[in-house]
Amino acid sequence: MVMRIARKELLEMTRDGRFRVAGGVVLLLLLTALGLGWSRHADVTAAHETAVAQEREIWEAQGEKSPHSASHYGVYAFKPTGRLAFFDTGTEAYTGVTVWLESHKQNQFLYRPARDGNTLQRFGELTAATVLQLLMPLLIILLAFAAFAGERESGTLRQVLSLGVRRRDLAVGKALGVASALALLLVPAVLLGAAALTAATADSESGGLMRTLLLAGAYLLYLGAFVGVTLAVSARAPSARFALVGLLGFWVFVCLAAPRAATDLAKAYYPTPSAQEFAAALAEDKEAGIDGVDYEDFLEARKQELLAEYGVDEVEALPINYGGWRFEVSEAYGNQFFDVHYSRLWDQFEAQDRLRQKIGFAAPLLAVRSLSMSLAGSDFAHFRWFAEQAEQYRRRLVAFLNNDMRDNAGAAAFSYRQDRRLWSQAPVFDYDAPDALWAVSGQLEAVAALVLWPVLSAFLAWGAAARLKAC
Amino acid sequence: MSNYARPQDIHGWTAREIPRLEDPQRNLTRMLEARGLTKFYGSLKALDSLDLVIEPGQVFCLLGANGAGKTTTINLFLDFIEASSGEARVHGLQVAEHPLETKKHLAYIPERVMLYPNLTGLENLEYFTALAGHEEYSQDRLRGFLTEAGLAEEAIDRRISAYSKGMRQKVGIAIAVAKKAKALLLDEPTSGLDPSASTEFSELLKRLSGEGVAVLMATHDLFRAKETGTHVGIMNRGRLVAHLTTEEIGHADLERLYLEHMRG
Repeated sequence: MVMRIARKELLEMTRDGRFRVAGGVVLLLLLTALGLGWSRHADVTAAHETAVAQEREIWEAQGEKSPHSASHYGVYAFKPTGRLAFFDTGTEAYTGVTVWLESHKQNQFLYRPARDGNTLQRFGELTAATVLQLLMPLLIILLAFAAFAGERESGTLRQVLSLGVRRRDLAVGKALGVASALALLLVPAVLLGAAALTAATADSESGGLMRTLLLAGAYLLYLGAFVGVTLAVSARAPSARFALVGLLGFWVFVCLAAPRAATDLAKAYYPTPSAQEFAAALAEDKEAGIDGVDYEDFLEARKQELLAEYGVDEVEALPINYGGWRFEVSEAYGNQFFDVHYSRLWDQFEAQDRLRQKIGFAAPLLAVRSLSMSLAGSDFAHFRWFAEQAEQYRRRLVAFLNNDMRDNAGAAAFSYRQDRRLWSQAPVFDYDAPDALWAVSGQLEAVAALVLWPVLSAFLAWGAAARLKAC
Repeated sequence: MSNYARPQDIHGWTAREIPRLEDPQRNLTRMLEARGLTKFYGSLKALDSLDLVIEPGQVFCLLGANGAGKTTTINLFLDFIEASSGEARVHGLQVAEHPLETKKHLAYIPERVMLYPNLTGLENLEYFTALAGHEEYSQDRLRGFLTEAGLAEEAIDRRISAYSKGMRQKVGIAIAVAKKAKALLLDEPTSGLDPSASTEFSELLKRLSGEGVAVLMATHDLFRAKETGTHVGIMNRGRLVAHLTTEEIGHADLERLYLEHMRG
């Protein structure tokens, strides 16, 4: 019975010109987005691989110089774009994927296309994720707003109910009908996406399959919620027009108003400084020191410890190179401030993300958006994971260079030279990508909202169908 | 209301005796039964304590102006609306308590049979009969139902959007016949049909009643009621004000009676 109803719904939809056009447009956009995403991903990945290879070569070929000069020469670290980032680019356009690593400072990220973006991009980049998040719900509404209200208006509902059809069979059948219509669009897109994924060579994001499956699950839950809400409203609405207006209102709230409001709320509750303010505050703190202990005091204390350790009275008597040792002390001093300031800033960003997830209980778009970015490895948490590894690497690299000077330069200062032999022994940045479970562990609110919505909407649709009025 | 004369008082015709509800032997022969059936819409009494029994083979024609309560009666038998008091029974079962089971015995043809415009006549019939629980029909048998209902062969595979009202009614009839219902609820099924289609429909009703189907038909067509009905009831403002067999009455008498009640 249910299958029969579903089949008829699908047949009707596939024959209806309006739905064919709307479905065709959405499918076209979805495929375009996948194609665009894929070519962008391929470009970025290729550029990334070349850059990584070249960067090392440039580093090793920097010529003879003192190790500390080399630490100023610096290196770039690149965040490998996850395979799934072609599906959802997330925040990468804003956070950037490249960082310049040098001694004395923890730098902000580079390659932020949003900074150079044109007006068109402000409307949001076309990604497969945005098509699924914004347009698919609209299509579901168009497919199903008349499911009950329209049949009631045209009178077919009276005839169907006069046959002794269970109202809930009707609801389940219609839900399955809409689902199969969506499957007609999604299956080719998913197959294409899967083919693209398999074709990807660099599996830099670990747990690729797990992430893909979870992504598919997240979107199924999200779209399922819209099917449920649409059927519930259609069953309760006094007319099809009323149902359509109400549902479009719901869509505007969930997909346009709520994300906007969430961003404003997040900024208001967890304000973040501008880049200039951040840099100024960091510099000011560094100048003032911690509890009145500024760099000079810090260095003096360390120096006394060092002299005591070696049992000497003055630095000239030390068996190590004092200059090299002092560079590391200056790193250690600066790092305290980087740790505090960057953690504070990033905690604030994470708090913003978490608030947005929570708003997902009111508007499921925010939940699916958050989870989707996270599973695609392109959200802020993944950025931070990378940034922290890059910073650890920066400290290791700088320490490697400064310690070489400390141990081997003897009494020489900047006349101490090193060459390719040392540069080639310098540690290599090896990015260790987090797995799918890690990604989900930061998304518990989003997951809860995404489970709650379809369950609640199915419950609503179930209840509305049971009370379905024939006229 | 109370100063309206009862029909039997005016003309000396005796209203058909309504079988007593308590009589258990008669339950099986009461295919459709209303007992004190009443429906209020706010303070408006759309149906006022209707008592009615239709047995297998009987064709009961409900006459009355728009708003007299004919459609309300049919909606109550279909459980589309809830009775304010009283009860409607189909095949002995109370409609409100057994909404799905009672519908298995019913077929309903409204004034305008509404079908799915993007499906063909055959696809519509197939869908509706399947929903009615008859999945057993072959395509040939389904085509047979449509041609028997008078639909032209070449129209069967055309989409409903190209159908005239008469053609839709024929599909509606085919659905009702294919359902093998024991009771038909017809809400002005022939209004707007051309005379030949209307006559065909009457023939079909006679055939079905000959096969033991009970029919409740709301209609404005006095002539048709006299021709096909075995019983006639006249409704006015929610009340069944006259109830007689067509054998008891000539066409001219029916018209006079009808008009008198309408004036009343």
